[in-house]
Amino acid sequence: MIPGKYRSVSGRAANNVEFKLNKETPSFSGRLLQHDLERNYSSRQGDHITLASSSMPSFPILQRSSEEKILYSDRLTLERQKLTVCPIIDGEEHLRLLNFQHNFITRIQNISNLQRLIFLDLYDNQIEEISGLSTLRSLRVLLLGKNRIKKISNLENLKSLDVLDLHGNQITKIENVGHLCDLRVLNLARNLLSHVDNLSGLDSLTELNLRHNQITFVRDVDNLPCLQRLFLSFNNISTFESVCCLADSSSLSDITFDGNPIAQESWYKHTILQNMTQLRQLDMKRVTEEERRMASVAAKKEEEKKRESHKQSLLKEKKRLTINNVARKWDLQQHRISSIAPNQDRKVSDCPQDPSQLRGSTVSAFPEETGSLDSGLTSALQGLSVTDTHLVEVDGDTLSLYGSGALESLDRNWSVQTAGMVTTVSFTFIEFDEIVQVLPKLKIKFPNSLHLKFKETNLVMLQQFNALAQLRRVDQLTVDPQGNPVVNFTLWKYYVLFRLSHFSMQKINGTEVTQNDMIMAERLFGILAHVASSELPQYRLISILGDARKKQFRYLLETKGKKPGLVNEENSDSKRLVGENTNRATLNYTTRDFYNERLEEIKEKKKFCKMYMEDLVKEATEINMKNEALQKLWPQMFIELVRDAVIEIRNKNSYMKLCLQQITDQK
Amino acid sequence: MLSPERLALPDYEYLAQRHVLTYMEDAVCQLLENKEDISQYGVARFFTEYFNSVCQGTHILFREFSFIQATPHNRASFLRAFWKCFRTVGKNGDLLTMREYHCLLQLLCPDFPLELTQKAARIVLMDDAMDCLMSFSDFLFAFQIQFYYSEFLESVAAIYQDLLAGKNPNTVIVPTSSSGQHRQRPPLGEASMLEGVEASQFSQCLENLCDRHKYSCPPPALVKEVLSNVQRLTFYGFLVALSKHHGINQALGALPDKGDLMHDPAMDEELERLLAQVPGLVNSATANPEAGCLPSRTPPRVGSPWRPLHHARKVDAESDGSTEETDESET
Repeated sequence: MIPGKYRSVSGRAANNVEFKLNKETPSFSGRLLQHDLERNYSSRQGDHITLASSSMPSFPILQRSSEEKILYSDRLTLERQKLTVCPIIDGEEHLRLLNFQHNFITRIQNISNLQRLIFLDLYDNQIEEISGLSTLRSLRVLLLGKNRIKKISNLENLKSLDVLDLHGNQITKIENVGHLCDLRVLNLARNLLSHVDNLSGLDSLTELNLRHNQITFVRDVDNLPCLQRLFLSFNNISTFESVCCLADSSSLSDITFDGNPIAQESWYKHTILQNMTQLRQLDMKRVTEEERRMASVAAKKEEEKKRESHKQSLLKEKKRLTINNVARKWDLQQHRISSIAPNQDRKVSDCPQDPSQLRGSTVSAFPEETGSLDSGLTSALQGLSVTDTHLVEVDGDTLSLYGSGALESLDRNWSVQTAGMVTTVSFTFIEFDEIVQVLPKLKIKFPNSLHLKFKETNLVMLQQFNALAQLRRVDQLTVDPQGNPVVNFTLWKYYVLFRLSHFSMQKINGTEVTQNDMIMAERLFGILAHVASSELPQYRLISILGDARKKQFRYLLETKGKKPGLVNEENSDSKRLVGENTNRATLNYTTRDFYNERLEEIKEKKKFCKMYMEDLVKEATEINMKNEALQKLWPQMFIELVRDAVIEIRNKNSYMKLCLQQITDQK
Repeated sequence: MLSPERLALPDYEYLAQRHVLTYMEDAVCQLLENKEDISQYGVARFFTEYFNSVCQGTHILFREFSFIQATPHNRASFLRAFWKCFRTVGKNGDLLTMREYHCLLQLLCPDFPLELTQKAARIVLMDDAMDCLMSFSDFLFAFQIQFYYSEFLESVAAIYQDLLAGKNPNTVIVPTSSSGQHRQRPPLGEASMLEGVEASQFSQCLENLCDRHKYSCPPPALVKEVLSNVQRLTFYGFLVALSKHHGINQALGALPDKGDLMHDPAMDEELERLLAQVPGLVNSATANPEAGCLPSRTPPRVGSPWRPLHHARKVDAESDGSTEETDESET
């Protein structure tokens, strides 16, 4: 693409000479035979050019008639002359314009004598190498478009070059142009450039055309102090970073990026406008004030989004590490892996940017530091407590707890709104027995929790589900097979449905609960309930139920002091027990530790009872022995008694005297 | 009952044989544990309840394992309770693993040891593939033998090992002893190729054991019967035979015959009544769950913990003014 004003010159120059070749051009493709030339001489406007034989058999010699020479003394057009070589041009030393367009010339030769040449047009030839120009020190316009040039070279002496057109070649690299300090237009479109640099030295360059290349990044443009127009259409630029030097070029006013991947991006326009405030035209369209303004607004938003997503990815990473750490600890606990020092995990999970916030402390409310961000982003994800050993996360309607340390977070002051929104509570890597102890707290703090999820919580016995009965209501239960062996049992779902029938659960592990399920559950375990309620002796019933209630209230009282509302809660809870199917109420679950504790306590009592009974037995046997002894002795004793009495009374008189004596003695 | 043998034993031994002291101690212990509640309605009442429940076999429900194991009567009651509660599982035809049966056992006794269940499972599975599924009746009968005669079986195992090793345990056997007087025996060339031990020799040893054993053991006549049918037998083969023997089952008296295992008309009736309430259960989270004829047990509120035991009445927690008979006059 030659700039307009130059094109017309060659057009004008084309009208003076036409040099035809014989149609039957011989197979000597590179050579022009002398006799052919002589035979097929013709000219349109009656100029007289002859090509005579020269002393060198390969090159034709060009001669013009003297009228021609005078008329067009400084210009010579040899367009479409089917030239395969440059002919020797004699006697034209003051030639200033030379046009060789649309030929088959393969090498630039035989023009070294034209030292006044300013304009040389070799567009559309077969030139493979720039050469033969070293004497043309006045050359200002060099048009080498549509050739086969592979390398920019041999331009050292062309210091006055103003326009250099190399479009449509096979150039892969910009080089050897640093000395062209007068060059104003450089056209390298439709080449094989993959990047742009080596532009320093082109101090006058105003226009640089790089369309239709394979450029991925641009450098050095900020070293061009006069560059106003830069055409980068149809390249391979995809990020602004690859062309970031453009932002530093204060002279640029016109730029095109169409046809690049970057132009398809959503952030394209405003990023360019934001970073290149000096631009007047983008992609051949004027940049309006409105556009500029919107660009800066959009850029700000983009920036914020990036910051936020970076923060979120940091947070996610931290969470992931924490969860890994918790999982590892859990596995150790379960003796699944041999204990190797887990310290490397600890170190990795320390986030260098926010040490004060995360290390050691159990509470770090993110909402405090995200004041500047959109509220939408903060409410989507609130990581409230992240340490090395446990993780608590509230994500909309789900409260997730990882690691047993997380259970303490239930003691925190949760805002009513946050707590009210939570409908799902998920426990991972926590022993079920520990969860059981905080269920009363859960009931109070998160009254709307309807769906419980357990994963890696060591649920091994059906009995453990009894513990869930104390909650207010559970709609859904999800027990992940991983880490919960109880799921392998055939009957576990039915047992859950049976024991928690008063909840009228909707779903277990994602599958709907059908009427048939409920019936089957009742069928399987109904008798157990019956036995557990009506066949238990009364005192056992009372003691079991009493125990259960006492335990629950112990947990409640352990929380922050006694609130005035607590008394009411006791009453309402006891009413709640009534609401539950009481024939199952005796099916409780005591964690192993508590159970053993209780047994220990009972040991003392048992010992005492044993001793007490032994004493009683001893007493009883003694009494028995005495009884038996008495039985044996009694007849004899009775006989003696009777005999003594009879002997006494035998003599009435003396007996009367004896009695009277006894009476007086008494007084 | 009024045989002169009663009077032949000295006091302590008599009491010990009948385990009277066990129950008395346990009763007093229970009294101590729940003295606040029980003191409100009277100690006499409590003792009546307690011994009634011992007679009925409900005293072992939800008790600790040491108590359940203490007396043969307890063990038998426990077996019966287990059968009663989970007969429906068997009736449903489910085959369960050893762990699941153990879980069911734990529902009735929270600290029931796993080893016992494992041993019972070994009997069913002939010590092979412990993760196999077992049917309810198979497990139950094997469990009965294992649980009721645990100590006896330990001794038998020791005897069996001795016989296998070639020693003749016709001397005093303590299960843990490894050396006793034994005659020199010619090496049992071909005998060691065959499985198990010779039945007659085994039978002889067991007879001696039964004579000496102070723990309960199966009726010797029946044991002899079991052993008379075969030439040789393995340890588990013997146990399986024991568990399947009707006579022994009947002698124990805890479980019905195998054929009748799934029958329990009284409980089935009860179950039907419960099932009839199920459709209502679906939306009865707040509705009256005891609108049926179940005897109701409201949790104890201060003041009137005693309710009539077998009267069916509607649950109306507030109304104390029922015109039905109550026992409150006794307090």
